[in-house]
Amino acid sequence: MKKYIAKRVAFSLFSILVVLLTVMTLVFSLIERSVIFQTDDTWNKRSLNDRTYYEYSQYQKYGYVEMANFTGFLSQKYSEKLGPNYTEDPSFIADRAAIQSSSWSSNASVKEFISKYEDEGYEIIRLDPITYKDGKSKPGGTGYLLAVRERSSFARLADYLKGLIKVETINDVTDPALTDRYVRWEKDPYSGLFARVGSGTTHKYQLYFDNRFPFIHQNKIRLNLGVSYTRYRGQEITGVITQPVGDLKPVRTQFPSKVGTDEYVETAIDFHQLTYNYSELTQAEKENYPDRYTVAGYRRSGLSMLENSFVIGLVATIMAYLFGLPLGILVARKKDSWIDKLGMGAIIFFMAVPSLAYIFLFAAVGTRLFGLPYKFATASIKILAYILPTISLAIPQTLSLMKWMRRYMIDQMNSDYVKFARAEGLSEREIFSSHISRNAVIPIVHGIPASILGCLTGAIITERVYSVPGVGNLLTTAINGHDNGIIIACTLFYTSLSVISLILGDLLMAKVDPRISFESKAGR
Amino acid sequence: MTNDEKMTVNEAELFTFIDNDSIESERIIAPRYSYWKSVFRVFFRKKSNWFFLGALIALLLCAFVLPIFCPYNPNENVTRAATFNLSPAKALAYFKGDGKFFKWILGTGSQGNSIFYGIWSSARTSLLLAMICAAINMSIGILVGAIWGYSKRIDQVMLVVYNIVANVPYILIITVIVYVISAGFWSFVFALTVTGWLGIAYFFRTQVMIIRDREYSLASRCLGTPTLRIVNKNLLPFLTSVIVTLLATELPSYISYEVFLSYIGVGLSANVASLGRMIQEAQTSFITFPWAFWSPVAVASILSITLYVLGQNLADASDPRTHM
Repeated sequence: MKKYIAKRVAFSLFSILVVLLTVMTLVFSLIERSVIFQTDDTWNKRSLNDRTYYEYSQYQKYGYVEMANFTGFLSQKYSEKLGPNYTEDPSFIADRAAIQSSSWSSNASVKEFISKYEDEGYEIIRLDPITYKDGKSKPGGTGYLLAVRERSSFARLADYLKGLIKVETINDVTDPALTDRYVRWEKDPYSGLFARVGSGTTHKYQLYFDNRFPFIHQNKIRLNLGVSYTRYRGQEITGVITQPVGDLKPVRTQFPSKVGTDEYVETAIDFHQLTYNYSELTQAEKENYPDRYTVAGYRRSGLSMLENSFVIGLVATIMAYLFGLPLGILVARKKDSWIDKLGMGAIIFFMAVPSLAYIFLFAAVGTRLFGLPYKFATASIKILAYILPTISLAIPQTLSLMKWMRRYMIDQMNSDYVKFARAEGLSEREIFSSHISRNAVIPIVHGIPASILGCLTGAIITERVYSVPGVGNLLTTAINGHDNGIIIACTLFYTSLSVISLILGDLLMAKVDPRISFESKAGR
Repeated sequence: MTNDEKMTVNEAELFTFIDNDSIESERIIAPRYSYWKSVFRVFFRKKSNWFFLGALIALLLCAFVLPIFCPYNPNENVTRAATFNLSPAKALAYFKGDGKFFKWILGTGSQGNSIFYGIWSSARTSLLLAMICAAINMSIGILVGAIWGYSKRIDQVMLVVYNIVANVPYILIITVIVYVISAGFWSFVFALTVTGWLGIAYFFRTQVMIIRDREYSLASRCLGTPTLRIVNKNLLPFLTSVIVTLLATELPSYISYEVFLSYIGVGLSANVASLGRMIQEAQTSFITFPWAFWSPVAVASILSITLYVLGQNLADASDPRTHM
């Protein structure tokens, strides 16, 4: 059994890799890459050579290409030779200025740069300086010398997998000005308890307590599914889907430097989420924070995208199992009666009609007849806004379960053991409840992990119709917005979930039915 | 003459000897059985099937013949803002001089377009898409599934392929492909068929395997029946109802996919009228202008239900066990 599971898990990992590689190859090679600049303000502000350079640096950031810049190459070369004060060296300044002249190719460092990168398969790109007639440089017209190489899908996949799990260490912050690096227990002024505080780590608080479920939080280990390209420009997708999405929630609190004084402020800044600030500190930041950990997220009310989808999906799934299975047994018992025909009519309706149609039907009925809120954002009482999406998910799921339960029950009803039970004089009720339904439920059990884990992927149409802030539309909006980062993340997320639920389903089925075994049989 | 003698004489007069006819003894005295005749007999015994068949023919006529005589032009009134989003009564009043009663019977859409003509043009697109996709997926799926189920060596290879592809949600595959190779009718067909046949092949493989190992198939093989004959005579009659059942669920599912994909914004391109696009365009105002929204929804639903019910009933009828 253990051997079987190990084999299954290994194969599943392999298939996830194959799928990721395929989707990466498709998405990165077949889609016009310049679409990531469609909504990029920085790109709009830049012009001429600066814009081209910005494009290449963004392509590098998003994993399309590997790029080397001549200036960076010089910095490295001279800092190795001369130490940290290389910027004042006259030959460095001369070399750096060389690419702004028309005789750039005769410079020794340029030749070295070109030969080094051409050997490694890079393409050398020269952006000539663009000047006015009087010789002055146009804005954005600085000359550049770049070496660019396309990345292979394998390298991209390897990098992606390498960055999948991030563990914060005290060497995360690359700022050389930070010398005091540690992780230690300190008294946490915000919870009144102790917290693990780091210096040199990306987040200041590594482990802390607060009053939000599950009360103990950590920033040490993070699952990093990748970075969004366009939709949530530059944000980590894991953060996007797990952070609350409601309104800002200000509380009465104190800035870190003001702890102990009587200066309180009403702010939504979450001081437990402070991260390192590399840029120059403003006067206010210097006053309010004792260190350079000044970048913080905001406290928001409500649930995160993932939680929203999961709550709706889970309640709907539980309702479906609670109602679907007994209803399936009922219509199977009353086969060919009016109740069976009614049930089958409903099943056919929901199977054949596009889901979009009946979800809008529920929306129309729910808002007109019961006055339930239609759009999530405009609902005055948030909890009521969950009702219609949940029902819209639950009813088709209930009917589908009912359909399969009826099918399996009827298949079992003609079995020999049922005839035997009847011949022995067992009551119909006993036969149905303890003999047939037990056998009929085995294939149903197989789908339970899939339906529970499937709630994490959200429901595309339902969430869109009621504008639920959930994860269901992450993939579809990413596709419309050309956001490769989210597409890859969704591929990994969906594929892993479906693989896990298949394995769990098989194991659960073997648990319920002792006749099923995964040991290899002889002679097969 | 004794009594005994009398009897013998009588018997000889009454009975005559008949030779044992070996050919005649092989004849089976049973009513003549024709498979397809029985299928249709069982199918038409159900009164509701007449109704659904009539409905399907009407729908097909409307979808394929009507657009020839009444071509749909979504932009004909685009410059006349007064014609936008009219209810049926208002549209009929506005276009009184037009002389085309049916054209405006369902009102106008957000661009002053005729909804009635629009739904039938769209229905043709949806039906064509469903038929082409079903034809491709079913024929590849059944062919591959039959070989896959019959050969154990191919089975091992195909299972690996299937297990990899089946792990990816179908929606992900379709959306990524439509996204990658720009939306259009044929790229849509490609997206729906590139992996769509695999599920059908897997289902079919299981069915073939079940019947392949039945005793009578084994007996045929032992007697030296050629494979092709076994497939023709032993497997196919059993699989006909399976194929029709598959078809009954596949056809409506493609209509659903088109509606769904257009709704999320990766559907057919803008110049092709399709049910999904009509629904998507009308959905923002589905409470204020219900006609534009519910008409295509109704056509998609009726089309799907009719195809599904007819298919299921035909599948039931094509199962030889119902021919009693």
